[in-house]
Amino acid sequence: MQTAIAVPIEHVLVLAAALFLIGFTGVLVRRNVIFLLMSLEIMMNACGLAFVVAGARWIEPDGQIMYMFILSLAAAEVAVGLGLILQLERRYRHLDIDAASELTG
Amino acid sequence: MIKQDFVALAPYLAVAGGIVLLMLLVSFWRSVRVMLTMTVVVLLVSLGLVGVGIGNPPHLISGFLLIDGYAALFNALFIIAAIVTALLAYGYMRGRGGEQEEFYLLLVLATLGAMTMAAAHHFAAVLLGLEILSISLYVLIGYSEEGHPPLEAALKYLVLSGVASTTMLFGMALIYNATGTLVFSELGSTDFAVPRDELYYLAGQGLLFAGIAFKLSLVPFHMWTPDVYQGAPAPVTGFLATVSKGAVFAFVLRYALITDVLAIPVMSTVLLVFAVLSMLGGNLLALLQNNVKRLLAYSSIAHIGYLLIALLAVGVLADSLIAVEASIVYLVGYFLMTLAAFGVVTVLSSSSMEVDAESIDAYTGLFWRRPLCAVIMTTALLSLTGIPLTVGFVAKFYLIATGAEGGMWLLLWALVVGSAIAVYYYMRVIFVMVQKGGGDSYTHPSVKVEGMAVLVVIGLSLILFGVYPSPLIDFVRSSIGIAGG
Repeated sequence: MQTAIAVPIEHVLVLAAALFLIGFTGVLVRRNVIFLLMSLEIMMNACGLAFVVAGARWIEPDGQIMYMFILSLAAAEVAVGLGLILQLERRYRHLDIDAASELTG
Repeated sequence: MIKQDFVALAPYLAVAGGIVLLMLLVSFWRSVRVMLTMTVVVLLVSLGLVGVGIGNPPHLISGFLLIDGYAALFNALFIIAAIVTALLAYGYMRGRGGEQEEFYLLLVLATLGAMTMAAAHHFAAVLLGLEILSISLYVLIGYSEEGHPPLEAALKYLVLSGVASTTMLFGMALIYNATGTLVFSELGSTDFAVPRDELYYLAGQGLLFAGIAFKLSLVPFHMWTPDVYQGAPAPVTGFLATVSKGAVFAFVLRYALITDVLAIPVMSTVLLVFAVLSMLGGNLLALLQNNVKRLLAYSSIAHIGYLLIALLAVGVLADSLIAVEASIVYLVGYFLMTLAAFGVVTVLSSSSMEVDAESIDAYTGLFWRRPLCAVIMTTALLSLTGIPLTVGFVAKFYLIATGAEGGMWLLLWALVVGSAIAVYYYMRVIFVMVQKGGGDSYTHPSVKVEGMAVLVVIGLSLILFGVYPSPLIDFVRSSIGIAGG
């Protein structure tokens, strides 16, 4: 079977990089913790996309396997993150990360 | 999987099996004492298995993990640090309400992640180990049910460490795209069939090392370190400063050794700049601190900066095993003195207090109130300074010897200047401790027997390895395969 990539690899990588930057910008500018977690998720998926396209380039399953790893890790990270968000809501009564900035010096 | 694979993996299987055991235990029978005992037993069994396997020839498990003397030494360090942390945490959390059994479970889980990183030979193993370690640490940092600082520290660490992990991941994806392999030895071999796509390759390495610099908290990626160290419970801070950093360093050192990535001029130059900035920046910022935990955080930034000398020497020296030897000796010293310093903070604190004993005022006149604690703290601080007859001196001597052999004079100058600055703030804590009076307003929790016992052992080993380091050095040399120690 012919390799089934109709889209050039560079285009997909540019898309992945754009997603990564969007996520990164989100982490920098968003103040609501839920949006921070969502931005992190976008960054993780950008990595996953980059792995999948790299795997397709070499016609190997490794990229997709890495994506599965990333998916499960993202799930674990979000589970912990949501737990912390519940605690934040309970202690501060809102979800603004800037309010939680007592540690300075 | 063949029989030899299982034999080589025995320490990992012991820890992983132990985690399942602890998980079952905690759901059927809640008892902190039993949990602590089982945790220590599991870790000791694994340590024993590491010790049994340390002489075996290197064993590669399906390209994924490389179990050799190098991994064994790091595993032993991580397991010992975990045992110390467990014993210290027991006294720290005593008297605190709520469930505390899961703390030990997460601690063992984090140790498994660190051990995986020490043996990683494939990017997937790095990813798995790193995330097992980090995700356990998020929970450990935010474990306390009350108080704002731990929660804030946990959230900060979660978000920033997540960004660093994804940066590393994106770097790995670009490297994979450029080379078509995720295995270190194939990345390193010059005759690997696929021609490298230089642009992607360099960008990937850059992103990978940016993430690593964050995880090692090198200046200018250090901003999170003091906040997280301050907010985390004291025993977890000790674990974070030793095992988490050590695991990332174990991976970077192995990666640099096998793939020869530091032969790329850009990479070694950038790392050199990070190292000099960390040594100077860490020490200068530590001068401004009135909080012992933050002070130790900045000092750990500087110490990892020193350690980069050994990492950079890999790219310079003809015999890179010398650099490995120096790194491991340095890390042994760093682990001991950092655990001792944070251990004293732990013993003087309790999770039922509002904040840990972290303000420098809490240490005024400590010599007259808690002489043993003060002596151990003094030993740890002298060792961090690098005074002769402590392990810190031996460790620093090794780094200087390695740097001199590689002719890395800029780094050595930074080390000397940084150490000179460091004398001031370490001595300040010691002077505060011998001052008479003060501290009356400060009530320390009651003496914790198991914590003090651990601290005395660490304090003695700080001196012992400082006065008589040759057994330690011989052991390291024979384990990593330097003939005729």
